Amino acid sequence: MNIYSGPLHHRTVSISCTKSSISGDHFRRELELLPKPRNISLSNFNGCQSLQMPASQSHKSLFPRVAVGSNVSEEDTDDMYDDLFKKYGKVVFRSNDQKSAIKEVDDDAECLSFAVALAKVASDVKGADIKLLFVKPLVYWTRFFIIVTAFSRPQVDAIGTRIRDLAEAQYGRTASGDFKPNSWTLLDFGDVVVHIFLPPQRDFYNLEEFYANATLIDLPFENQQPFRN
Amino acid sequence: MIQPQTHLNVADNSGARELMCIRILGASNRRYAHIGDVIVAVIKEAVPNMPLEKSEVVRAVIVRTCKELKRDNGMIIRYDDNAAVVIDQEGNPKGTRIFGAIPRELRQLNFTKIVSLAPEVL
Repeated sequence: MNIYSGPLHHRTVSISCTKSSISGDHFRRELELLPKPRNISLSNFNGCQSLQMPASQSHKSLFPRVAVGSNVSEEDTDDMYDDLFKKYGKVVFRSNDQKSAIKEVDDDAECLSFAVALAKVASDVKGADIKLLFVKPLVYWTRFFIIVTAFSRPQVDAIGTRIRDLAEAQYGRTASGDFKPNSWTLLDFGDVVVHIFLPPQRDFYNLEEFYANATLIDLPFENQQPFRN
Repeated sequence: MIQPQTHLNVADNSGARELMCIRILGASNRRYAHIGDVIVAVIKEAVPNMPLEKSEVVRAVIVRTCKELKRDNGMIIRYDDNAAVVIDQEGNPKGTRIFGAIPRELRQLNFTKIVSLAPEVL
């Protein structure tokens, strides 16, 4: 599996994140073909989160050729890179679109309140065994999972419709996913993903076990005993 | 680029081991299928004592292709194999776990169930 990253017009300077399919010689030859080496700045690598400089000696000779300006000798560029490494560490590129820690926490809190509201609705329609998992540390593509058991397809439909209505009315979010009640109905709100299972499917897929390392969030209404006469 | 007669690996624990594409769903005369497309396939090889048998006709979603997948930001992903996940008529996966890395494009194509069972999403 190979991943090439970087803008298309810099096709020759492709980064292989997993297995390198470009040998060092090939890489060098391609770089020589480029008309203006000074145009290759590290900021062109938009696609990759961080670009690790190769640590081994054999790869070191690759980078002086990318050096800025033709009158700079190899030692100077080596020193320049050493200085940069000292200053910034081995990671020489960091993407600019990363959010600040405070913003992240704010977003998490907002999503949590949204997820708790959705779980509350599911509980109102008598969905059983509701679990709210904080999966952000495990997967990058979402923050919260809500796993609910419903006991019949009409109930799945009821939970799905109620959740969709609430999300649209109060939070202005629309779900993608199944619109027909299914034995495993999934509503994808981006940061919150709701799974509504029938009991056999819940046992079969066993998502809780798969995401066992995720933090289970206590729901405020879960412990309340239903009122009985 | 998956077309009829292409053999694919199975990237889940449904019990099938190898599939052969026999039809691409979506249009009447479609030539090739890519990542995220649903195909009709026949099971060429199966694991013994599992619910799926050899020569059974199933639906499957393509999750990995040797043909490069290009993204708008210039990223290109190319896998070592062609692989698919067996699904039922409702779109639920027949296996309970997915193996290997899958691309995030599947989520946009409403296969979030497959994405949520996968160990790694690229």
